Amino acid sequence: MYNLMYVVKKDNGGFMDTHKNMLTEPIVDLKNVCISYGKDPDVLSNVNLSLDKGSFHFLTGKSGAGKTSLLSMMYLALKPSKGTVFVFGSNIGYAGRDSMAMLRRRIGVVFQDFRLLEHLSAYDNVAVPLRIRGMSENEIKKRVKELLKWVELEQSMDKICSTLSGGEKQRVAIARAVINRPEILLADEPTGNVDNDIAAKLMKLFVELNKLGTTVVIATHSKDLIAEYNYPQIHLENKSVKVIPALRRSAHEN
Amino acid sequence: MKTKWFGFNRSELPLQHDKANLFLQISTAISVFLFVITLAAYFMISSVILSWNKNIIDGLTVQIMPSTDTLSAEENTMRINKVIMCVEGWSGVDRVRLISDQKIKKLMSPWLGSDADINALPLPKLLDVRLKNGKTFDYEAAKESLADVAPYASIDNHGIWLKKLIKSARSLKVLSLFILALVLTASVFSLFYAVGTSLRVHQHIIEILHIMGATDGYIAKQYAHISFVITFISALVGTIIAVVALFAVSMLSAGLESGLIGAASLTGTHWFVLCLMPLLTAVISTGMSYLCVKRTLGKML
Ligand SMILES: Nc1ncnc2c1ncn2[C@@H]1O[C@H](COP(=O)(O)OP(=O)(O)OP(=O)(O)O)[C@@H](O)[C@H]1O
Ligand SMILES: [Mg+2]
Repeated sequence: MYNLMYVVKKDNGGFMDTHKNMLTEPIVDLKNVCISYGKDPDVLSNVNLSLDKGSFHFLTGKSGAGKTSLLSMMYLALKPSKGTVFVFGSNIGYAGRDSMAMLRRRIGVVFQDFRLLEHLSAYDNVAVPLRIRGMSENEIKKRVKELLKWVELEQSMDKICSTLSGGEKQRVAIARAVINRPEILLADEPTGNVDNDIAAKLMKLFVELNKLGTTVVIATHSKDLIAEYNYPQIHLENKSVKVIPALRRSAHEN
Repeated sequence: MKTKWFGFNRSELPLQHDKANLFLQISTAISVFLFVITLAAYFMISSVILSWNKNIIDGLTVQIMPSTDTLSAEENTMRINKVIMCVEGWSGVDRVRLISDQKIKKLMSPWLGSDADINALPLPKLLDVRLKNGKTFDYEAAKESLADVAPYASIDNHGIWLKKLIKSARSLKVLSLFILALVLTASVFSLFYAVGTSLRVHQHIIEILHIMGATDGYIAKQYAHISFVITFISALVGTIIAVVALFAVSMLSAGLESGLIGAASLTGTHWFVLCLMPLLTAVISTGMSYLCVKRTLGKML
Protein backbone atom coordinates (compact mmCIF):
# COMPACT_ATOMS: atom_id res chain seq x y z
CA MET A 1 0.00 0.00 0.00
CA TYR A 2 1.05 3.53 -0.66
CA ASN A 3 2.96 4.70 2.32
CA LEU A 4 2.13 8.29 3.06
CA MET A 5 5.07 8.56 5.39
CA TYR A 6 7.19 8.12 2.30
CA VAL A 7 5.68 11.30 0.97
CA VAL A 8 6.65 13.19 4.08
CA LYS A 9 10.06 11.79 4.85
CA LYS A 10 11.34 12.64 1.42
CA ASP A 11 9.90 16.11 1.52
CA ASN A 12 12.56 18.70 2.03
CA GLY A 13 10.74 21.96 1.74
CA GLY A 14 7.48 23.21 2.95
CA PHE A 15 4.90 21.75 5.06
CA MET A 16 6.81 20.18 7.92
CA ASP A 17 7.88 23.66 8.93
CA THR A 18 4.38 24.84 8.30
CA HIS A 19 3.11 22.21 10.67
CA LYS A 20 5.30 23.52 13.45
CA ASN A 21 3.84 27.03 13.41
CA MET A 22 0.40 25.76 12.71
CA LEU A 23 -1.39 28.03 15.07
CA THR A 24 0.48 31.24 14.51
CA GLU A 25 -0.63 32.76 11.22
CA PRO A 26 -3.54 31.85 8.93
CA ILE A 27 -2.41 30.17 5.71
CA VAL A 28 -5.29 31.72 3.76
CA ASP A 29 -6.72 35.04 4.83
CA LEU A 30 -9.50 36.85 2.98
CA LYS A 31 -10.28 40.40 4.07
CA ASN A 32 -13.49 42.10 2.86
CA VAL A 33 -13.31 40.17 -0.37
CA CYS A 34 -15.87 40.48 -3.15
CA ILE A 35 -16.01 38.17 -6.15
CA SER A 36 -17.76 39.14 -9.36
CA TYR A 37 -17.55 38.28 -13.02
CA GLY A 38 -17.47 41.28 -15.32
CA LYS A 39 -20.39 43.59 -14.70
CA ASP A 40 -22.53 40.86 -13.13
CA PRO A 41 -23.60 41.38 -9.50
CA ASP A 42 -21.26 39.98 -6.86
CA VAL A 43 -21.17 36.20 -6.45
CA LEU A 44 -19.81 36.70 -2.94
CA SER A 45 -19.55 40.00 -1.09
CA ASN A 46 -17.53 41.16 1.87
CA VAL A 47 -16.11 37.79 2.74
CA ASN A 48 -13.84 37.59 5.76
CA LEU A 49 -12.34 34.16 6.15
CA SER A 50 -9.13 32.77 7.53
CA LEU A 51 -7.94 29.19 7.36
CA ASP A 52 -5.42 28.00 9.88
CA LYS A 53 -2.49 25.93 8.83
CA GLY A 54 -3.31 22.24 9.03
CA SER A 55 -7.07 22.78 9.16
CA PHE A 56 -9.65 20.69 7.27
CA HIS A 57 -12.88 22.21 5.98
CA PHE A 58 -15.77 21.16 3.85
CA LEU A 59 -17.03 23.87 1.51
CA THR A 60 -20.78 23.68 1.06
CA GLY A 61 -23.56 25.67 -0.53
CA LYS A 62 -26.14 25.35 -3.25
CA SER A 63 -25.15 24.98 -6.87
CA GLY A 64 -24.14 28.43 -8.06
CA ALA A 65 -23.43 29.64 -4.53
CA GLY A 66 -19.81 30.33 -5.48
CA LYS A 67 -17.82 27.35 -4.18
CA THR A 68 -15.74 27.00 -7.32
CA SER A 69 -15.27 30.76 -7.45
CA LEU A 70 -14.02 30.90 -3.89
CA LEU A 71 -11.65 28.00 -4.47
CA SER A 72 -10.26 29.54 -7.66
CA MET A 73 -9.47 32.67 -5.72
CA MET A 74 -7.58 30.54 -3.20
CA TYR A 75 -5.56 28.85 -5.94
CA LEU A 76 -4.79 32.30 -7.32
CA ALA A 77 -6.64 31.97 -10.62
CA LEU A 78 -9.22 34.60 -9.80
CA LYS A 79 -8.58 38.08 -8.48
CA PRO A 80 -11.07 39.56 -6.04
CA SER A 81 -13.02 42.54 -7.37
CA LYS A 82 -12.59 44.11 -3.94
CA GLY A 83 -10.66 43.31 -0.79
CA THR A 84 -7.36 41.66 -0.02
CA VAL A 85 -6.24 38.06 -0.27
CA PHE A 86 -3.30 36.73 1.72
CA VAL A 87 -1.98 33.26 0.92
CA PHE A 88 1.04 31.94 2.84
CA GLY A 89 1.21 35.39 4.34
CA SER A 90 1.73 37.10 0.97
CA ASN A 91 -0.64 39.73 -0.28
CA ILE A 92 -1.34 38.34 -3.73
CA GLY A 93 -2.40 41.73 -5.02
CA TYR A 94 1.25 42.73 -4.94
CA ALA A 95 2.88 39.45 -5.97
CA GLY A 96 4.81 39.41 -9.25
CA ARG A 97 4.14 36.78 -11.90
CA ASP A 98 7.02 34.53 -10.94
CA SER A 99 6.38 34.72 -7.23
CA MET A 100 2.71 33.87 -7.92
CA ALA A 101 3.98 30.77 -9.73
CA MET A 102 6.08 29.84 -6.72
CA LEU A 103 3.07 30.28 -4.40
CA ARG A 104 0.91 28.14 -6.70
CA ARG A 105 3.43 25.31 -6.55
CA ARG A 106 2.61 24.94 -2.86
CA ILE A 107 -1.09 24.47 -3.61
CA GLY A 108 -2.67 21.29 -4.96
CA VAL A 109 -5.92 21.63 -6.89
CA VAL A 110 -8.55 19.09 -7.92
CA PHE A 111 -10.85 20.78 -10.42
CA GLN A 112 -14.54 20.02 -10.57
CA ASP A 113 -14.15 19.25 -14.28
CA PHE A 114 -10.72 17.60 -13.77
CA ARG A 115 -8.97 19.73 -16.40
CA LEU A 116 -6.50 17.03 -17.31
CA LEU A 117 -4.21 17.38 -20.30
CA GLU A 118 -6.25 15.08 -22.51
CA HIS A 119 -3.51 14.32 -25.03
CA LEU A 120 -1.13 12.97 -22.38
CA SER A 121 -1.11 9.64 -20.58
CA ALA A 122 -2.26 9.30 -16.99
CA TYR A 123 1.38 8.99 -16.01
CA ASP A 124 2.42 12.18 -17.78
CA ASN A 125 -0.50 14.10 -16.29
CA VAL A 126 0.51 13.21 -12.78
CA ALA A 127 4.12 14.04 -13.64
CA VAL A 128 3.33 17.60 -14.78
CA PRO A 129 3.74 19.39 -11.41
CA LEU A 130 7.04 17.61 -10.84
CA ARG A 131 8.32 18.47 -14.31
CA ILE A 132 7.34 22.09 -13.71
CA ARG A 133 9.53 21.93 -10.62
CA GLY A 134 12.36 20.53 -12.71
CA MET A 135 12.62 17.20 -10.91
CA SER A 136 14.70 14.43 -12.51
CA GLU A 137 12.83 11.85 -14.59
CA ASN A 138 14.08 9.04 -12.34
CA GLU A 139 12.65 10.60 -9.22
CA ILE A 140 9.43 11.43 -11.09
CA LYS A 141 9.04 7.83 -12.18
CA LYS A 142 9.40 6.55 -8.65
CA ARG A 143 6.88 8.95 -7.17
CA VAL A 144 4.30 8.84 -9.94
CA LYS A 145 4.23 5.05 -10.16
CA GLU A 146 3.82 4.69 -6.44
CA LEU A 147 0.98 7.17 -6.23
CA LEU A 148 -0.81 5.74 -9.28
CA LYS A 149 -0.60 2.33 -7.67
CA TRP A 150 -2.26 3.74 -4.59
CA VAL A 151 -5.17 5.24 -6.53
CA GLU A 152 -5.47 1.87 -8.33
CA LEU A 153 -4.50 3.17 -11.73
CA GLU A 154 -1.27 1.31 -12.37
CA GLN A 155 -2.94 -0.69 -15.16
CA SER A 156 -4.10 2.49 -16.92
CA MET A 157 -0.88 4.41 -16.39
CA ASP A 158 0.01 4.61 -20.07
CA LYS A 159 -3.49 5.22 -21.34
CA ILE A 160 -4.15 8.59 -22.93
CA CYS A 161 -6.42 10.58 -20.63
CA SER A 162 -9.14 11.15 -23.19
CA THR A 163 -9.76 7.39 -23.16
CA LEU A 164 -10.18 7.11 -19.38
CA SER A 165 -13.52 6.80 -17.59
CA GLY A 166 -14.87 9.63 -15.44
CA GLY A 167 -13.83 7.95 -12.21
CA GLU A 168 -10.36 7.19 -13.56
CA LYS A 169 -9.94 10.78 -14.64
CA GLN A 170 -10.95 11.94 -11.19
CA ARG A 171 -8.29 9.77 -9.60
CA VAL A 172 -5.67 11.05 -12.04
CA ALA A 173 -6.72 14.60 -11.13
CA ILE A 174 -6.36 13.83 -7.42
CA ALA A 175 -3.00 12.15 -7.90
CA ARG A 176 -1.81 15.20 -9.83
CA ALA A 177 -2.97 17.47 -7.01
CA VAL A 178 -1.17 15.62 -4.24
CA ILE A 179 2.00 14.47 -6.03
CA ASN A 180 3.73 17.69 -5.07
CA ARG A 181 2.91 17.24 -1.35
CA PRO A 182 1.06 20.54 -1.29
CA GLU A 183 0.72 22.71 1.78
CA ILE A 184 -2.82 23.54 0.74
CA LEU A 185 -5.12 21.08 -1.00
CA LEU A 186 -8.22 22.50 -2.66
CA ALA A 187 -10.57 19.87 -4.04
CA ASP A 188 -13.76 20.67 -5.92
CA GLU A 189 -16.21 17.73 -5.68
CA PRO A 190 -13.37 15.20 -5.64
CA THR A 191 -15.50 12.14 -4.99
CA GLY A 192 -18.41 12.87 -7.29
CA ASN A 193 -17.59 10.32 -9.96
CA VAL A 194 -16.28 7.32 -8.07
CA ASP A 195 -17.91 4.43 -6.25
CA ASN A 196 -18.16 4.41 -2.46
CA ASP A 197 -15.09 2.25 -1.90
CA ILE A 198 -12.84 4.47 -3.91
CA ALA A 199 -14.45 7.57 -2.44
CA ALA A 200 -13.61 6.29 1.04
CA LYS A 201 -10.07 5.57 -0.02
CA LEU A 202 -9.62 9.02 -1.53
CA MET A 203 -11.04 10.63 1.62
CA LYS A 204 -8.53 8.62 3.60
CA LEU A 205 -5.80 10.10 1.41
CA PHE A 206 -7.01 13.61 2.19
CA VAL A 207 -7.30 12.86 5.90
CA GLU A 208 -3.79 11.38 6.01
CA LEU A 209 -2.36 14.33 4.15
CA ASN A 210 -4.13 16.62 6.59
CA LYS A 211 -2.66 14.73 9.53
CA LEU A 212 0.74 15.35 8.01
CA GLY A 213 0.09 19.08 7.93
CA THR A 214 -1.69 19.88 4.70
CA THR A 215 -4.49 22.41 4.93
CA VAL A 216 -7.49 20.88 3.16
CA VAL A 217 -10.66 22.40 1.70
CA ILE A 218 -13.12 20.08 -0.01
CA ALA A 219 -16.14 21.42 -1.84
CA THR A 220 -18.94 18.92 -1.79
CA HIS A 221 -22.67 18.43 -2.09
CA SER A 222 -22.52 15.07 -0.35
CA LYS A 223 -24.38 15.08 2.98
CA ASP A 224 -23.03 11.59 3.70
CA LEU A 225 -19.49 12.76 3.43
CA ILE A 226 -20.09 15.75 5.67
CA ALA A 227 -21.86 13.58 8.23
CA GLU A 228 -19.21 10.89 8.21
CA TYR A 229 -16.23 13.13 8.76
CA ASN A 230 -16.40 15.50 11.62
CA TYR A 231 -14.87 18.61 10.12
CA PRO A 232 -16.00 22.24 10.13
CA GLN A 233 -17.93 23.59 7.18
CA ILE A 234 -17.51 26.77 5.22
CA HIS A 235 -21.05 27.37 4.11
CA LEU A 236 -21.92 29.78 1.29
CA GLU A 237 -25.33 31.33 1.26
CA ASN A 238 -26.73 34.66 0.08
CA LYS A 239 -23.35 35.85 -1.15
CA SER A 240 -21.80 35.45 2.26
CA VAL A 241 -19.75 32.94 4.18
CA LYS A 242 -20.59 31.22 7.42
CA VAL A 243 -18.21 28.88 9.20
CA ILE A 244 -20.00 26.08 11.02
CA PRO A 245 -17.67 24.55 13.61
CA ALA A 246 -17.32 20.79 13.67
CA LEU A 247 -18.30 20.11 17.23
CA ARG A 248 -21.37 22.28 17.30
CA ARG A 249 -22.53 20.86 14.01
CA SER A 250 -22.18 17.26 15.13
CA ALA A 251 -23.84 18.05 18.45
CA HIS A 252 -26.66 19.69 16.58
CA GLU A 253 -27.02 16.87 14.10
CA ASN A 254 -26.64 13.91 16.41
CA MET B 1 0.41 5.61 -29.51
CA LYS B 2 3.60 7.39 -28.56
CA THR B 3 5.51 8.75 -31.47
CA LYS B 4 8.76 10.45 -30.71
CA TRP B 5 8.89 13.79 -32.42
CA PHE B 6 11.98 15.63 -31.23
CA GLY B 7 10.92 14.88 -27.66
CA PHE B 8 7.53 16.56 -27.94
CA ASN B 9 5.46 13.47 -27.19
CA ARG B 10 5.61 14.23 -23.48
CA SER B 11 5.33 17.96 -23.58
CA GLU B 12 2.28 19.46 -21.95
CA LEU B 13 1.50 21.65 -24.92
CA PRO B 14 0.85 19.55 -28.04
CA LEU B 15 2.57 22.17 -30.17
CA GLN B 16 3.79 19.65 -32.72
CA HIS B 17 0.18 19.25 -33.91
CA ASP B 18 -0.57 22.96 -34.31
CA LYS B 19 -2.30 23.80 -37.56
CA ALA B 20 -0.21 26.94 -37.83
CA ASN B 21 2.96 24.86 -38.06
CA LEU B 22 2.50 24.02 -41.73
CA PHE B 23 1.88 27.68 -42.46
CA LEU B 24 5.02 28.58 -40.55
CA GLN B 25 7.08 25.90 -42.28
CA ILE B 26 6.07 26.98 -45.77
CA SER B 27 6.38 30.69 -45.11
CA THR B 28 9.77 30.22 -43.45
CA ALA B 29 11.10 28.12 -46.32
CA ILE B 30 9.91 30.68 -48.90
CA SER B 31 11.18 33.65 -46.91
CA VAL B 32 14.57 32.09 -46.38
CA PHE B 33 14.79 31.16 -50.06
CA LEU B 34 14.06 34.76 -51.06
CA PHE B 35 16.37 36.08 -48.38
CA VAL B 36 19.31 33.94 -49.49
CA ILE B 37 18.84 34.78 -53.17
CA THR B 38 18.54 38.49 -52.43
CA LEU B 39 21.48 38.44 -50.07
CA ALA B 40 23.56 36.68 -52.72
CA ALA B 41 22.52 39.34 -55.22
CA TYR B 42 23.55 42.00 -52.72
CA PHE B 43 26.96 40.38 -52.26
CA MET B 44 27.47 40.10 -56.01
CA ILE B 45 26.51 43.69 -56.70
CA SER B 46 28.82 44.82 -53.93
CA SER B 47 31.79 42.93 -55.31
CA VAL B 48 31.08 44.14 -58.84
CA ILE B 49 30.99 47.73 -57.68
CA LEU B 50 34.21 47.16 -55.79
CA SER B 51 35.99 45.71 -58.78
CA TRP B 52 34.72 48.45 -61.10
CA ASN B 53 35.92 51.04 -58.69
CA LYS B 54 39.32 49.40 -58.45
CA ASN B 55 39.93 48.37 -62.04
CA ILE B 56 38.31 50.95 -64.16
CA ILE B 57 38.21 54.15 -62.27
CA ASP B 58 41.91 53.87 -61.54
CA GLY B 59 42.63 53.14 -65.16
CA LEU B 60 42.01 54.40 -68.63
CA THR B 61 42.66 53.24 -72.15
CA VAL B 62 44.48 55.16 -74.82
CA GLN B 63 43.51 54.23 -78.33
CA ILE B 64 46.03 54.64 -81.15
CA MET B 65 44.30 54.69 -84.51
CA PRO B 66 45.96 52.80 -87.33
CA SER B 67 47.48 55.06 -89.91
CA THR B 68 45.69 55.46 -93.23
CA ASP B 69 49.07 55.33 -94.98
CA THR B 70 51.06 52.14 -95.13
CA LEU B 71 53.96 52.48 -92.73
CA SER B 72 56.96 50.34 -92.07
CA ALA B 73 57.17 48.36 -88.84
CA GLU B 74 59.79 50.77 -87.53
CA GLU B 75 57.64 53.79 -88.23
CA ASN B 76 54.72 52.09 -86.52
CA THR B 77 56.76 51.40 -83.40
CA MET B 78 57.94 54.99 -83.29
CA ARG B 79 54.37 56.18 -83.60
CA ILE B 80 53.38 54.07 -80.61
CA ASN B 81 56.43 54.88 -78.50
CA LYS B 82 55.75 58.58 -78.97
CA VAL B 83 52.34 58.10 -77.38
CA ILE B 84 53.73 55.93 -74.59
CA MET B 85 56.32 58.55 -73.72
CA CYS B 86 53.68 61.25 -73.69
CA VAL B 87 51.41 59.19 -71.42
CA GLU B 88 54.23 58.34 -69.05
CA GLY B 89 54.85 62.06 -68.71
CA TRP B 90 51.44 62.69 -67.18
CA SER B 91 51.41 63.15 -63.46
CA GLY B 92 49.55 60.48 -61.52
CA VAL B 93 50.30 57.63 -63.92
CA ASP B 94 51.30 54.40 -62.25
CA ARG B 95 52.05 52.09 -65.16
CA VAL B 96 51.51 51.96 -68.91
CA ARG B 97 51.15 48.70 -70.79
CA LEU B 98 50.62 47.99 -74.46
CA ILE B 99 47.86 45.49 -74.90
CA SER B 100 49.00 42.66 -77.13
CA ASP B 101 47.32 41.95 -80.45
CA GLN B 102 46.48 38.55 -79.04
CA LYS B 103 44.46 40.12 -76.23
CA ILE B 104 42.79 42.59 -78.57
CA LYS B 105 41.82 39.71 -80.79
CA LYS B 106 40.30 37.98 -77.85
CA LEU B 107 38.44 41.09 -76.77
CA MET B 108 37.13 41.63 -80.28
CA SER B 109 36.16 38.06 -81.01
CA PRO B 110 32.64 38.30 -79.58
CA TRP B 111 31.96 40.96 -82.20
CA LEU B 112 34.01 39.59 -85.06
CA GLY B 113 33.78 35.85 -84.55
CA SER B 114 36.77 33.79 -83.48
CA ASP B 115 37.97 32.80 -86.91
CA ALA B 116 38.19 36.30 -88.35
CA ASP B 117 41.66 37.15 -89.70
CA ILE B 118 42.43 39.91 -87.28
CA ASN B 119 45.74 40.80 -88.90
CA ALA B 120 43.94 41.74 -92.05
CA LEU B 121 41.88 44.32 -90.21
CA PRO B 122 43.09 47.80 -89.42
CA LEU B 123 42.90 47.43 -85.66
CA PRO B 124 43.80 50.18 -83.23
CA LYS B 125 46.55 49.66 -80.71
CA LEU B 126 45.50 49.97 -77.09
CA LEU B 127 47.40 51.22 -74.08
CA ASP B 128 46.22 50.14 -70.68
CA VAL B 129 47.04 52.99 -68.31
CA ARG B 130 46.86 52.42 -64.54
CA LEU B 131 46.41 55.59 -62.52
CA LYS B 132 47.46 56.20 -58.95
CA ASN B 133 44.09 57.76 -58.28
CA GLY B 134 41.36 57.96 -60.88
CA LYS B 135 39.37 60.44 -58.94
CA THR B 136 42.06 63.14 -58.80
CA PHE B 137 43.53 62.50 -62.25
CA ASP B 138 43.37 65.51 -64.58
CA TYR B 139 41.74 64.13 -67.73
CA GLU B 140 41.55 67.52 -69.47
CA ALA B 141 45.31 68.19 -69.25
CA ALA B 142 46.03 64.69 -70.48
CA LYS B 143 43.71 65.11 -73.47
CA GLU B 144 45.39 68.39 -74.43
CA SER B 145 48.92 67.04 -74.23
CA LEU B 146 47.93 64.03 -76.32
CA ALA B 147 46.32 66.26 -78.96
CA ASP B 148 49.62 68.23 -79.22
CA VAL B 149 51.99 65.26 -79.44
CA ALA B 150 49.95 62.60 -81.21
CA PRO B 151 46.59 63.68 -82.62
CA TYR B 152 46.04 60.10 -83.90
CA ALA B 153 45.66 58.88 -80.30
CA SER B 154 42.72 59.49 -78.06
CA ILE B 155 41.71 58.82 -74.48
CA ASP B 156 38.91 56.36 -74.07
CA ASN B 157 37.58 57.42 -70.73
CA HIS B 158 35.06 54.81 -69.67
CA GLY B 159 35.11 56.34 -66.21
CA ILE B 160 32.19 58.55 -67.12
CA TRP B 161 29.72 55.91 -68.23
CA LEU B 162 31.07 53.59 -65.59
CA LYS B 163 30.21 56.10 -62.93
CA LYS B 164 26.64 56.01 -64.22
CA LEU B 165 26.73 52.23 -64.13
CA ILE B 166 28.02 52.22 -60.58
CA LYS B 167 25.29 54.62 -59.62
CA SER B 168 22.59 52.32 -60.96
CA ALA B 169 24.31 49.32 -59.35
CA ARG B 170 24.23 51.18 -56.07
CA SER B 171 20.51 51.73 -56.41
CA LEU B 172 20.15 48.00 -57.08
CA LYS B 173 22.05 47.43 -53.86
CA VAL B 174 19.64 49.66 -51.97
CA LEU B 175 16.74 47.84 -53.60
CA SER B 176 18.08 44.48 -52.49
CA LEU B 177 18.49 45.78 -48.94
CA PHE B 178 14.89 46.96 -49.08
CA ILE B 179 13.74 43.53 -50.24
CA LEU B 180 15.72 41.92 -47.43
CA ALA B 181 13.98 44.18 -44.94
CA LEU B 182 10.57 43.34 -46.43
CA VAL B 183 11.20 39.61 -46.28
CA LEU B 184 12.39 39.95 -42.71
CA THR B 185 9.33 41.96 -41.70
CA ALA B 186 6.97 39.48 -43.34
CA SER B 187 8.66 36.58 -41.54
CA VAL B 188 8.51 38.32 -38.19
CA PHE B 189 4.80 38.91 -38.65
CA SER B 190 4.20 35.30 -39.71
CA LEU B 191 6.01 34.07 -36.64
CA PHE B 192 4.08 36.37 -34.32
CA TYR B 193 0.85 35.32 -35.99
CA ALA B 194 1.64 31.62 -35.61
CA VAL B 195 2.71 31.99 -31.99
CA GLY B 196 -0.29 34.18 -31.14
CA THR B 197 -2.71 31.72 -32.73
CA SER B 198 -1.13 28.82 -30.92
CA LEU B 199 -1.30 30.62 -27.58
CA ARG B 200 -5.00 31.23 -28.11
CA VAL B 201 -5.63 27.62 -29.15
CA HIS B 202 -3.84 26.28 -26.08
CA GLN B 203 -5.09 28.87 -23.64
CA HIS B 204 -6.86 26.28 -21.47
CA ILE B 205 -3.71 24.16 -21.13
CA ILE B 206 -1.61 27.20 -20.37
CA GLU B 207 -4.07 28.17 -17.65
CA ILE B 208 -3.79 24.71 -16.08
CA LEU B 209 -0.01 24.88 -16.21
CA HIS B 210 -0.07 28.29 -14.59
CA ILE B 211 -2.31 27.04 -11.79
CA MET B 212 0.13 24.20 -11.19
CA GLY B 213 2.88 26.73 -10.78
CA ALA B 214 4.49 26.95 -14.20
CA THR B 215 6.32 30.22 -14.78
CA ASP B 216 5.93 32.10 -18.05
CA GLY B 217 9.49 31.07 -18.86
CA TYR B 218 8.57 27.39 -18.55
CA ILE B 219 5.84 27.79 -21.16
CA ALA B 220 7.90 30.09 -23.37
CA LYS B 221 10.67 27.48 -23.42
CA GLN B 222 8.34 24.93 -24.97
CA TYR B 223 7.50 27.45 -27.68
CA ALA B 224 11.14 28.28 -28.20
CA HIS B 225 11.91 24.57 -28.58
CA ILE B 226 9.27 23.95 -31.27
CA SER B 227 10.15 27.19 -33.06
CA PHE B 228 13.76 26.11 -33.27
CA VAL B 229 12.90 22.73 -34.75
CA ILE B 230 10.35 24.07 -37.23
CA THR B 231 12.30 27.07 -38.45
CA PHE B 232 15.63 25.26 -38.62
CA ILE B 233 14.26 22.52 -40.85
CA SER B 234 12.29 24.93 -43.06
CA ALA B 235 15.18 27.36 -43.33
CA LEU B 236 17.48 24.48 -44.24
CA VAL B 237 15.13 23.51 -47.07
CA GLY B 238 14.85 27.13 -48.26
CA THR B 239 18.61 27.61 -48.13
CA ILE B 240 19.39 24.38 -49.96
CA ILE B 241 17.02 25.27 -52.81
CA ALA B 242 18.46 28.78 -52.99
CA VAL B 243 22.06 27.55 -53.00
CA VAL B 244 21.30 25.01 -55.71
CA ALA B 245 19.65 27.76 -57.76
CA LEU B 246 22.65 30.06 -57.26
CA PHE B 247 25.03 27.30 -58.33
CA ALA B 248 22.98 26.64 -61.43
CA VAL B 249 22.98 30.32 -62.35
CA SER B 250 26.72 30.66 -61.81
CA MET B 251 27.36 27.54 -63.89
CA LEU B 252 25.26 28.91 -66.72
CA SER B 253 26.89 32.31 -66.62
CA ALA B 254 30.40 30.88 -66.34
CA GLY B 255 30.44 30.63 -70.12
CA LEU B 256 29.90 34.35 -70.52
CA GLU B 257 33.31 35.67 -69.75
CA SER B 258 32.14 39.17 -69.62
CA GLY B 259 34.65 41.63 -68.26
CA LEU B 260 31.96 43.73 -66.66
CA ILE B 261 30.05 41.15 -64.66
CA GLY B 262 32.90 38.69 -64.32
CA ALA B 263 33.46 39.94 -60.81
CA ALA B 264 29.88 39.09 -59.89
CA SER B 265 30.82 35.89 -58.15
CA LEU B 266 30.55 34.88 -54.53
CA THR B 267 33.59 34.50 -52.35
CA GLY B 268 34.08 31.78 -49.77
CA THR B 269 33.00 34.16 -47.03
CA HIS B 270 29.81 34.92 -48.92
CA TRP B 271 28.96 31.23 -49.29
CA PHE B 272 29.71 30.73 -45.62
CA VAL B 273 27.32 33.50 -44.60
CA LEU B 274 24.61 32.14 -46.92
CA CYS B 275 25.01 28.64 -45.52
CA LEU B 276 24.72 30.01 -42.00
CA MET B 277 21.15 31.12 -42.73
CA PRO B 278 19.32 28.05 -41.34
CA LEU B 279 21.04 28.33 -37.98
CA LEU B 280 20.69 32.11 -37.93
CA THR B 281 16.99 31.91 -38.79
CA ALA B 282 16.37 29.26 -36.16
CA VAL B 283 18.20 31.16 -33.44
CA ILE B 284 16.43 34.43 -34.21
CA SER B 285 12.96 32.82 -34.39
CA THR B 286 13.60 30.92 -31.20
CA GLY B 287 14.47 34.08 -29.35
CA MET B 288 11.57 35.96 -30.86
CA SER B 289 8.96 33.34 -30.05
CA TYR B 290 10.30 33.12 -26.51
CA LEU B 291 9.90 36.86 -26.06
CA CYS B 292 6.55 36.92 -27.84
CA VAL B 293 5.16 34.21 -25.54
CA LYS B 294 6.49 35.89 -22.42
CA ARG B 295 5.00 39.21 -23.46
CA THR B 296 1.61 37.70 -24.31
CA LEU B 297 1.46 35.63 -21.12
CA GLY B 298 2.20 38.75 -19.11
CA LYS B 299 -1.33 39.83 -19.97
CA MET B 300 -2.89 36.49 -19.00
CA LEU B 301 -3.92 34.82 -15.73
N1 LIG C 1 -16.28 32.38 -15.73
C1 LIG C 1 -17.45 32.87 -15.30
N2 LIG C 1 -18.01 33.92 -15.93
C2 LIG C 1 -19.17 34.44 -15.50
N3 LIG C 1 -19.86 33.97 -14.48
C3 LIG C 1 -19.38 32.92 -13.80
C4 LIG C 1 -18.15 32.31 -14.18
N4 LIG C 1 -17.90 31.29 -13.34
C5 LIG C 1 -18.94 31.26 -12.48
N5 LIG C 1 -19.82 32.22 -12.75
C6 LIG C 1 -21.05 32.50 -11.99
O1 LIG C 1 -20.72 32.62 -10.63
C7 LIG C 1 -21.68 31.97 -9.83
C8 LIG C 1 -21.03 30.98 -8.90
O2 LIG C 1 -20.52 29.94 -9.68
P1 LIG C 1 -19.63 28.78 -9.07
O3 LIG C 1 -19.17 27.94 -10.19
O4 LIG C 1 -18.62 29.39 -8.19
O5 LIG C 1 -20.71 27.99 -8.20
P2 LIG C 1 -20.56 26.61 -7.45
O6 LIG C 1 -20.95 26.87 -6.04
O7 LIG C 1 -19.24 26.04 -7.67
O8 LIG C 1 -21.66 25.73 -8.16
P3 LIG C 1 -21.67 24.13 -8.40
O9 LIG C 1 -22.04 23.51 -7.08
O10 LIG C 1 -22.77 23.93 -9.40
O11 LIG C 1 -20.35 23.74 -8.88
C9 LIG C 1 -22.69 31.35 -10.77
O12 LIG C 1 -23.82 32.17 -10.81
C10 LIG C 1 -22.01 31.34 -12.10
O13 LIG C 1 -22.93 31.57 -13.12
MG1 LIG D 1 -18.52 24.43 -8.67
